[in-house]
Amino acid sequence: MTTPLLLGLIGLALAQPVPALLARMDWPYRAPRAAIALWQALALAAILAVVGAGLSASLWLVVHEGVPNPDPAAWRVALHVAFFALTVVVVVRLTWSLLSVAVEVRAARRRHRAMVDLVGARDAARRSVRILDANEPLAYCVPGLDARVVVSRGALDSLSPEELDAVLAHESAHLRARHDLVVDTFTALHRAFPRALRSDAALVSTRVLVELLADDHARRRTGTTPLARALVKLGSRPAPAGALGATSTLVRRIDRLESTTADDGLRHGAIEGAACYVLAAVVVLGPTFTLAVPWISSAWTTLS
Amino acid sequence: MARLGELEREVMDLLWESPTPLTGREVLDRLTPRRDLAYTTVTTILDRLARKDVVVRERSGRAFTYAPTLGRDELTVTLLNEVLASAGDDRTAALVHFAETASDDDARALREALARIEAREP
Repeated sequence: MTTPLLLGLIGLALAQPVPALLARMDWPYRAPRAAIALWQALALAAILAVVGAGLSASLWLVVHEGVPNPDPAAWRVALHVAFFALTVVVVVRLTWSLLSVAVEVRAARRRHRAMVDLVGARDAARRSVRILDANEPLAYCVPGLDARVVVSRGALDSLSPEELDAVLAHESAHLRARHDLVVDTFTALHRAFPRALRSDAALVSTRVLVELLADDHARRRTGTTPLARALVKLGSRPAPAGALGATSTLVRRIDRLESTTADDGLRHGAIEGAACYVLAAVVVLGPTFTLAVPWISSAWTTLS
Repeated sequence: MARLGELEREVMDLLWESPTPLTGREVLDRLTPRRDLAYTTVTTILDRLARKDVVVRERSGRAFTYAPTLGRDELTVTLLNEVLASAGDDRTAALVHFAETASDDDARALREALARIEAREP
Protein backbone atom coordinates (compact mmCIF):
# COMPACT_ATOMS: atom_id res chain seq x y z
CA MET A 1 0.00 0.00 0.00
CA THR A 2 2.79 2.41 0.87
CA THR A 3 4.51 2.32 -2.54
CA PRO A 4 1.54 3.52 -4.63
CA LEU A 5 0.61 6.08 -1.99
CA LEU A 6 4.12 7.53 -1.71
CA LEU A 7 4.65 7.56 -5.46
CA GLY A 8 1.26 9.21 -5.92
CA LEU A 9 2.12 11.91 -3.40
CA ILE A 10 5.52 12.47 -5.00
CA GLY A 11 3.87 12.71 -8.43
CA LEU A 12 1.33 15.25 -7.18
CA ALA A 13 4.02 17.28 -5.43
CA LEU A 14 6.21 17.33 -8.52
CA ALA A 15 3.29 18.28 -10.74
CA GLN A 16 2.38 21.49 -8.96
CA PRO A 17 3.70 22.68 -5.58
CA VAL A 18 7.37 21.92 -6.20
CA PRO A 19 7.50 23.68 -9.59
CA ALA A 20 5.59 26.65 -8.16
CA LEU A 21 8.09 26.89 -5.30
CA LEU A 22 11.12 26.56 -7.55
CA ALA A 23 9.80 29.19 -9.96
CA ARG A 24 9.59 31.69 -7.12
CA MET A 25 13.27 31.30 -6.27
CA ASP A 26 15.91 33.50 -7.80
CA TRP A 27 19.02 31.41 -7.29
CA PRO A 28 18.45 28.88 -10.14
CA TYR A 29 18.57 31.77 -12.62
CA ARG A 30 22.22 32.25 -11.70
CA ALA A 31 23.03 28.86 -13.27
CA PRO A 32 20.77 28.64 -16.33
CA ARG A 33 22.16 25.48 -17.87
CA ALA A 34 21.95 23.52 -14.62
CA ALA A 35 18.51 24.97 -13.88
CA ILE A 36 17.20 23.68 -17.21
CA ALA A 37 18.54 20.23 -16.30
CA LEU A 38 16.74 20.50 -12.96
CA TRP A 39 13.42 21.38 -14.64
CA GLN A 40 13.85 18.46 -17.01
CA ALA A 41 14.61 16.15 -14.08
CA LEU A 42 11.50 17.35 -12.22
CA ALA A 43 9.35 16.66 -15.27
CA LEU A 44 10.84 13.21 -15.76
CA ALA A 45 10.49 12.37 -12.07
CA ALA A 46 6.85 13.53 -12.05
CA ILE A 47 6.00 11.30 -15.01
CA LEU A 48 7.83 8.30 -13.55
CA ALA A 49 6.14 8.78 -10.18
CA VAL A 50 2.64 9.06 -11.65
CA VAL A 51 3.11 6.03 -13.88
CA GLY A 52 4.70 4.08 -11.02
CA ALA A 53 1.85 5.01 -8.68
CA GLY A 54 -0.75 3.84 -11.19
CA LEU A 55 0.92 0.53 -11.90
CA SER A 56 1.74 -0.27 -8.28
CA ALA A 57 -1.78 0.64 -7.11
CA SER A 58 -3.24 -1.50 -9.84
CA LEU A 59 -1.14 -4.49 -8.83
CA TRP A 60 -1.53 -3.97 -5.08
CA LEU A 61 -5.32 -4.36 -5.42
CA VAL A 62 -5.12 -7.94 -6.66
CA VAL A 63 -2.17 -9.17 -4.61
CA HIS A 64 -2.45 -10.59 -1.13
CA GLU A 65 0.66 -11.10 1.01
CA GLY A 66 3.05 -11.34 -1.90
CA VAL A 67 1.04 -13.75 -4.06
CA PRO A 68 -1.71 -13.03 -6.57
CA ASN A 69 -5.06 -13.22 -4.81
CA PRO A 70 -6.79 -16.30 -6.29
CA ASP A 71 -10.29 -14.96 -5.60
CA PRO A 72 -10.21 -11.15 -5.36
CA ALA A 73 -13.34 -9.17 -4.51
CA ALA A 74 -15.16 -7.66 -7.47
CA TRP A 75 -14.46 -4.09 -6.38
CA ARG A 76 -10.74 -4.89 -6.23
CA VAL A 77 -10.77 -6.20 -9.77
CA ALA A 78 -12.72 -3.18 -10.96
CA LEU A 79 -10.30 -0.75 -9.30
CA HIS A 80 -7.36 -2.78 -10.55
CA VAL A 81 -8.58 -2.35 -14.12
CA ALA A 82 -9.41 1.31 -13.53
CA PHE A 83 -5.95 2.16 -12.20
CA PHE A 84 -4.28 0.30 -15.01
CA ALA A 85 -6.45 2.05 -17.61
CA LEU A 86 -5.73 5.41 -16.01
CA THR A 87 -2.00 4.79 -16.25
CA VAL A 88 -2.32 3.88 -19.90
CA VAL A 89 -4.35 7.06 -20.49
CA VAL A 90 -1.60 9.15 -18.87
CA VAL A 91 1.09 7.62 -21.07
CA VAL A 92 -0.98 7.93 -24.23
CA ARG A 93 -1.91 11.48 -23.44
CA LEU A 94 1.72 12.48 -22.88
CA THR A 95 2.84 10.83 -26.09
CA TRP A 96 -0.02 12.37 -28.02
CA SER A 97 0.76 15.80 -26.64
CA LEU A 98 4.45 15.55 -27.53
CA LEU A 99 3.63 14.44 -31.07
CA SER A 100 0.90 16.99 -31.68
CA VAL A 101 2.99 19.90 -30.42
CA ALA A 102 5.88 18.77 -32.61
CA VAL A 103 3.66 18.51 -35.68
CA GLU A 104 1.82 21.76 -35.02
CA VAL A 105 4.89 23.84 -34.29
CA ARG A 106 6.81 22.42 -37.20
CA ALA A 107 3.98 23.18 -39.63
CA ALA A 108 3.66 26.74 -38.34
CA ARG A 109 7.41 27.25 -38.66
CA ARG A 110 7.58 25.79 -42.13
CA ARG A 111 4.74 27.99 -43.33
CA HIS A 112 6.23 31.10 -41.76
CA ARG A 113 9.65 30.33 -43.22
CA ALA A 114 8.17 29.91 -46.69
CA MET A 115 6.50 33.33 -46.50
CA VAL A 116 9.60 35.01 -45.10
CA ASP A 117 11.68 33.53 -47.90
CA LEU A 118 9.30 35.00 -50.48
CA VAL A 119 9.03 38.54 -49.13
CA GLY A 120 12.21 38.87 -47.08
CA ALA A 121 15.28 40.49 -48.58
CA ARG A 122 18.52 38.56 -48.32
CA ASP A 123 21.58 39.65 -46.46
CA ALA A 124 24.69 39.36 -48.61
CA ALA A 125 26.96 38.38 -45.74
CA ARG A 126 24.66 36.12 -43.72
CA ARG A 127 22.91 33.28 -45.50
CA SER A 128 20.18 32.50 -43.01
CA VAL A 129 19.17 36.11 -42.32
CA ARG A 130 16.05 37.62 -43.90
CA ILE A 131 15.12 41.26 -43.79
CA LEU A 132 11.45 42.13 -43.46
CA ASP A 133 10.28 45.44 -44.86
CA ALA A 134 8.61 46.82 -41.71
CA ASN A 135 9.16 49.87 -39.55
CA GLU A 136 8.44 48.04 -36.31
CA PRO A 137 11.82 47.16 -34.71
CA LEU A 138 11.75 43.35 -34.61
CA ALA A 139 14.17 40.46 -34.47
CA TYR A 140 13.20 36.82 -34.13
CA CYS A 141 14.15 33.40 -35.31
CA VAL A 142 12.23 30.57 -36.92
CA PRO A 143 13.83 27.46 -35.41
CA GLY A 144 14.16 24.12 -37.15
CA LEU A 145 16.62 22.23 -39.30
CA ASP A 146 16.45 24.94 -41.96
CA ALA A 147 16.27 27.88 -39.58
CA ARG A 148 15.96 31.58 -40.31
CA VAL A 149 16.80 34.71 -38.42
CA VAL A 150 14.48 37.56 -39.35
CA VAL A 151 15.24 41.21 -38.73
CA SER A 152 12.96 44.07 -39.69
CA ARG A 153 14.08 47.15 -41.58
CA GLY A 154 13.13 49.14 -38.46
CA ALA A 155 15.48 47.07 -36.30
CA LEU A 156 18.33 47.45 -38.81
CA ASP A 157 17.85 51.21 -38.81
CA SER A 158 17.90 51.51 -35.03
CA LEU A 159 20.73 49.08 -34.20
CA SER A 160 24.43 49.80 -34.53
CA PRO A 161 26.55 47.10 -36.26
CA GLU A 162 27.78 45.79 -32.88
CA GLU A 163 24.24 45.68 -31.52
CA LEU A 164 23.06 43.80 -34.60
CA ASP A 165 25.93 41.34 -34.13
CA ALA A 166 24.80 40.81 -30.54
CA VAL A 167 21.21 40.12 -31.67
CA LEU A 168 22.34 37.69 -34.36
CA ALA A 169 24.73 35.92 -31.97
CA HIS A 170 21.86 35.54 -29.49
CA GLU A 171 19.55 34.08 -32.14
CA SER A 172 22.17 31.75 -33.56
CA ALA A 173 22.87 30.46 -30.04
CA HIS A 174 19.17 29.53 -29.78
CA LEU A 175 19.26 27.83 -33.15
CA ARG A 176 22.51 25.96 -32.69
CA ALA A 177 21.68 24.65 -29.22
CA ARG A 178 18.12 23.77 -30.36
CA HIS A 179 16.56 25.58 -27.43
CA ASP A 180 13.28 25.22 -29.30
CA LEU A 181 13.29 21.48 -28.57
CA VAL A 182 13.65 22.13 -24.84
CA VAL A 183 10.82 24.65 -24.81
CA ASP A 184 8.58 22.60 -27.12
CA THR A 185 8.88 19.62 -24.78
CA PHE A 186 7.72 21.71 -21.83
CA THR A 187 4.89 23.12 -23.93
CA ALA A 188 3.77 19.56 -24.66
CA LEU A 189 4.01 18.51 -20.99
CA HIS A 190 2.07 21.58 -19.97
CA ARG A 191 -0.72 20.71 -22.39
CA ALA A 192 -0.78 17.05 -21.37
CA PHE A 193 -1.59 17.77 -17.74
CA PRO A 194 -5.23 18.22 -16.75
CA ARG A 195 -6.00 21.89 -16.22
CA ALA A 196 -6.58 21.53 -12.48
CA LEU A 197 -3.25 19.83 -11.86
CA ARG A 198 -0.86 21.74 -14.01
CA SER A 199 1.29 24.74 -13.38
CA ASP A 200 2.98 26.78 -16.07
CA ALA A 201 6.02 27.28 -13.83
CA ALA A 202 8.27 24.88 -15.74
CA LEU A 203 7.33 26.30 -19.13
CA VAL A 204 7.69 29.92 -18.07
CA SER A 205 10.99 29.31 -16.27
CA THR A 206 12.66 27.34 -19.04
CA ARG A 207 11.69 30.03 -21.54
CA VAL A 208 13.57 32.56 -19.42
CA LEU A 209 16.51 30.22 -18.85
CA VAL A 210 17.15 29.59 -22.56
CA GLU A 211 17.14 33.37 -23.10
CA LEU A 212 19.79 33.74 -20.39
CA LEU A 213 21.90 31.04 -22.07
CA ALA A 214 21.63 32.73 -25.46
CA ASP A 215 22.55 36.07 -23.87
CA ASP A 216 25.61 34.52 -22.23
CA HIS A 217 26.70 33.29 -25.62
CA ALA A 218 26.08 36.61 -27.37
CA ARG A 219 27.93 38.73 -24.82
CA ARG A 220 31.01 36.51 -25.02
CA ARG A 221 31.08 37.33 -28.71
CA THR A 222 30.25 41.04 -28.65
CA GLY A 223 30.62 42.22 -25.07
CA THR A 224 27.85 43.16 -22.68
CA THR A 225 27.06 46.74 -23.65
CA PRO A 226 25.96 46.15 -27.28
CA LEU A 227 23.67 43.33 -26.12
CA ALA A 228 22.18 45.44 -23.34
CA ARG A 229 21.59 48.33 -25.76
CA ALA A 230 19.92 46.00 -28.25
CA LEU A 231 17.67 44.66 -25.48
CA VAL A 232 16.58 48.16 -24.56
CA LYS A 233 15.99 49.16 -28.18
CA LEU A 234 14.05 46.07 -29.22
CA GLY A 235 12.34 45.47 -25.89
CA SER A 236 10.90 48.91 -25.37
CA ARG A 237 7.87 48.48 -27.56
CA PRO A 238 4.85 48.82 -25.30
CA ALA A 239 3.45 45.49 -24.15
CA PRO A 240 -0.05 44.55 -25.20
CA ALA A 241 -2.47 44.47 -22.27
CA GLY A 242 -2.56 41.22 -20.34
CA ALA A 243 0.96 40.16 -21.21
CA LEU A 244 2.46 40.92 -17.83
CA GLY A 245 4.24 38.39 -15.67
CA ALA A 246 5.75 38.57 -12.18
CA THR A 247 9.36 39.36 -13.04
CA SER A 248 9.52 39.77 -16.76
CA THR A 249 12.05 37.90 -18.86
CA LEU A 250 13.58 41.18 -20.00
CA VAL A 251 14.24 42.33 -16.45
CA ARG A 252 15.84 38.99 -15.53
CA ARG A 253 18.01 39.20 -18.62
CA ILE A 254 19.28 42.71 -17.99
CA ASP A 255 19.81 41.85 -14.31
CA ARG A 256 22.10 39.05 -15.36
CA LEU A 257 23.96 41.36 -17.76
CA GLU A 258 24.42 43.82 -14.94
CA SER A 259 25.35 41.45 -12.13
CA THR A 260 27.84 39.33 -14.09
CA THR A 261 30.52 40.02 -16.66
CA ALA A 262 30.93 38.46 -20.09
CA ASP A 263 33.79 36.19 -19.03
CA ASP A 264 32.55 35.21 -15.59
CA GLY A 265 32.21 31.75 -17.08
CA LEU A 266 31.84 28.91 -14.64
CA ARG A 267 32.81 30.79 -11.52
CA HIS A 268 29.55 32.66 -11.37
CA GLY A 269 26.73 30.49 -10.16
CA ALA A 270 28.96 27.47 -9.55
CA ILE A 271 27.29 26.70 -6.22
CA GLU A 272 23.80 27.26 -7.61
CA GLY A 273 24.67 25.04 -10.55
CA ALA A 274 25.94 22.26 -8.31
CA ALA A 275 22.79 22.55 -6.18
CA CYS A 276 20.63 22.18 -9.30
CA TYR A 277 22.46 19.07 -10.45
CA VAL A 278 22.31 17.49 -6.98
CA LEU A 279 18.58 18.20 -6.73
CA ALA A 280 18.06 16.87 -10.24
CA ALA A 281 19.80 13.62 -9.32
CA VAL A 282 17.86 13.37 -6.06
CA VAL A 283 14.40 13.81 -7.60
CA VAL A 284 15.02 11.27 -10.34
CA LEU A 285 17.16 8.69 -8.55
CA GLY A 286 15.67 9.03 -5.05
CA PRO A 287 12.18 7.65 -5.72
CA THR A 288 13.59 5.25 -8.32
CA PHE A 289 15.90 3.47 -5.89
CA THR A 290 13.90 3.76 -2.68
CA LEU A 291 10.47 2.97 -4.14
CA ALA A 292 10.42 1.90 -7.77
CA VAL A 293 13.24 -0.64 -7.81
CA PRO A 294 12.10 -2.52 -4.65
CA TRP A 295 8.54 -2.49 -5.97
CA ILE A 296 9.56 -3.76 -9.41
CA SER A 297 11.59 -6.62 -7.89
CA SER A 298 8.74 -7.64 -5.56
CA ALA A 299 6.22 -7.30 -8.41
CA TRP A 300 8.48 -9.48 -10.52
CA THR A 301 8.56 -12.27 -7.93
CA THR A 302 4.80 -11.98 -7.43
CA LEU A 303 4.02 -12.27 -11.10
CA SER A 304 6.55 -14.94 -12.01
CA MET B 1 16.57 23.16 -52.47
CA ALA B 2 18.37 26.50 -52.37
CA ARG B 3 17.94 26.73 -56.15
CA LEU B 4 14.22 25.99 -55.96
CA GLY B 5 13.81 28.62 -53.25
CA GLU B 6 15.60 31.13 -55.41
CA LEU B 7 13.37 30.31 -58.39
CA GLU B 8 10.23 30.55 -56.28
CA ARG B 9 11.26 34.04 -55.30
CA GLU B 10 11.92 35.07 -58.89
CA VAL B 11 8.62 33.67 -60.10
CA MET B 12 6.80 35.35 -57.24
CA ASP B 13 8.46 38.67 -58.10
CA LEU B 14 7.27 38.30 -61.70
CA LEU B 15 3.71 37.58 -60.60
CA TRP B 16 3.76 40.54 -58.24
CA GLU B 17 5.04 42.85 -60.96
CA SER B 18 2.52 41.69 -63.54
CA PRO B 19 -0.80 43.54 -63.61
CA THR B 20 -2.60 40.43 -64.91
CA PRO B 21 -2.37 36.73 -64.08
CA LEU B 22 0.31 34.88 -66.06
CA THR B 23 0.36 31.47 -67.68
CA GLY B 24 3.23 29.07 -67.12
CA ARG B 25 4.44 29.82 -70.64
CA GLU B 26 4.46 33.57 -69.97
CA VAL B 27 6.40 33.07 -66.77
CA LEU B 28 8.92 30.94 -68.66
CA ASP B 29 9.31 33.59 -71.38
CA ARG B 30 9.97 36.29 -68.83
CA LEU B 31 12.52 34.18 -67.00
CA THR B 32 14.31 32.94 -70.12
CA PRO B 33 16.46 36.00 -70.81
CA ARG B 34 17.92 35.48 -67.34
CA ARG B 35 18.22 31.71 -67.20
CA ASP B 36 17.78 28.55 -69.20
CA LEU B 37 14.80 26.64 -67.79
CA ALA B 38 12.51 23.83 -68.85
CA TYR B 39 8.77 24.50 -68.98
CA THR B 40 8.17 21.68 -66.51
CA THR B 41 10.48 23.36 -64.02
CA VAL B 42 8.35 26.48 -64.18
CA THR B 43 5.11 24.53 -63.67
CA THR B 44 6.71 22.70 -60.74
CA ILE B 45 7.59 26.03 -59.16
CA LEU B 46 4.09 27.38 -59.76
CA ASP B 47 2.56 24.26 -58.23
CA ARG B 48 4.76 24.59 -55.18
CA LEU B 49 3.69 28.20 -54.77
CA ALA B 50 0.04 27.20 -55.17
CA ARG B 51 0.46 24.55 -52.48
CA LYS B 52 1.82 27.23 -50.16
CA ASP B 53 -1.35 29.22 -50.85
CA VAL B 54 0.56 32.25 -52.04
CA VAL B 55 -0.59 31.76 -55.64
CA VAL B 56 -4.02 30.93 -57.07
CA ARG B 57 -4.41 28.86 -60.20
CA GLU B 58 -7.31 29.47 -62.56
CA ARG B 59 -8.32 27.90 -65.82
CA SER B 60 -8.37 30.37 -68.67
CA GLY B 61 -9.29 28.75 -71.99
CA ARG B 62 -6.90 25.88 -72.52
CA ALA B 63 -4.19 27.04 -70.16
CA PHE B 64 -3.88 27.75 -66.43
CA THR B 65 -3.09 31.23 -65.23
CA TYR B 66 -1.44 32.07 -61.95
CA ALA B 67 -1.85 35.14 -59.76
CA PRO B 68 -0.58 36.01 -56.29
CA THR B 69 -3.21 35.60 -53.55
CA LEU B 70 -1.83 38.64 -51.74
CA GLY B 71 0.30 41.52 -52.92
CA ARG B 72 3.85 41.73 -51.65
CA ASP B 73 2.95 44.43 -49.11
CA GLU B 74 -0.16 42.58 -47.96
CA LEU B 75 1.85 39.41 -47.43
CA THR B 76 4.42 41.38 -45.42
CA VAL B 77 1.63 42.83 -43.27
CA THR B 78 0.14 39.36 -42.74
CA LEU B 79 3.52 38.07 -41.61
CA LEU B 80 4.07 41.07 -39.40
CA ASN B 81 0.72 40.61 -37.67
CA GLU B 82 1.57 36.98 -37.04
CA VAL B 83 4.92 38.01 -35.55
CA LEU B 84 3.45 40.75 -33.36
CA ALA B 85 0.65 38.49 -32.14
CA SER B 86 3.17 35.85 -31.12
CA ALA B 87 5.17 38.42 -29.15
CA GLY B 88 2.23 39.03 -26.82
CA ASP B 89 1.12 35.45 -26.34
CA ASP B 90 3.99 33.15 -25.54
CA ARG B 91 1.94 29.96 -25.44
CA THR B 92 2.52 29.08 -29.08
CA ALA B 93 6.22 29.40 -29.60
CA ALA B 94 6.58 28.80 -33.31
CA LEU B 95 8.70 31.97 -33.43
CA VAL B 96 11.31 32.96 -30.88
CA HIS B 97 11.63 36.68 -30.31
CA PHE B 98 14.86 38.40 -29.42
CA ALA B 99 12.98 40.59 -26.96
CA GLU B 100 9.35 40.44 -25.96
CA THR B 101 7.41 43.63 -25.41
CA ALA B 102 7.97 45.46 -22.15
CA SER B 103 5.57 47.23 -19.83
CA ASP B 104 6.37 50.88 -18.98
CA ASP B 105 7.88 49.86 -15.65
CA ASP B 106 10.04 47.20 -17.28
CA ALA B 107 11.16 49.61 -19.98
CA ARG B 108 12.26 52.08 -17.31
CA ALA B 109 14.09 49.34 -15.36
CA LEU B 110 15.82 48.29 -18.58
CA ARG B 111 17.02 51.80 -19.36
CA GLU B 112 18.31 52.33 -15.82
CA ALA B 113 20.19 49.02 -15.84
CA LEU B 114 21.65 49.89 -19.24
CA ALA B 115 22.94 53.19 -17.89
CA ARG B 116 24.72 51.34 -15.06
CA ILE B 117 26.19 48.78 -17.49
CA GLU B 118 27.43 51.53 -19.79
CA ALA B 119 29.04 53.33 -16.84
CA ARG B 120 30.82 50.11 -15.87
CA GLU B 121 31.90 49.00 -19.34
CA PRO B 122 32.48 52.06 -21.50
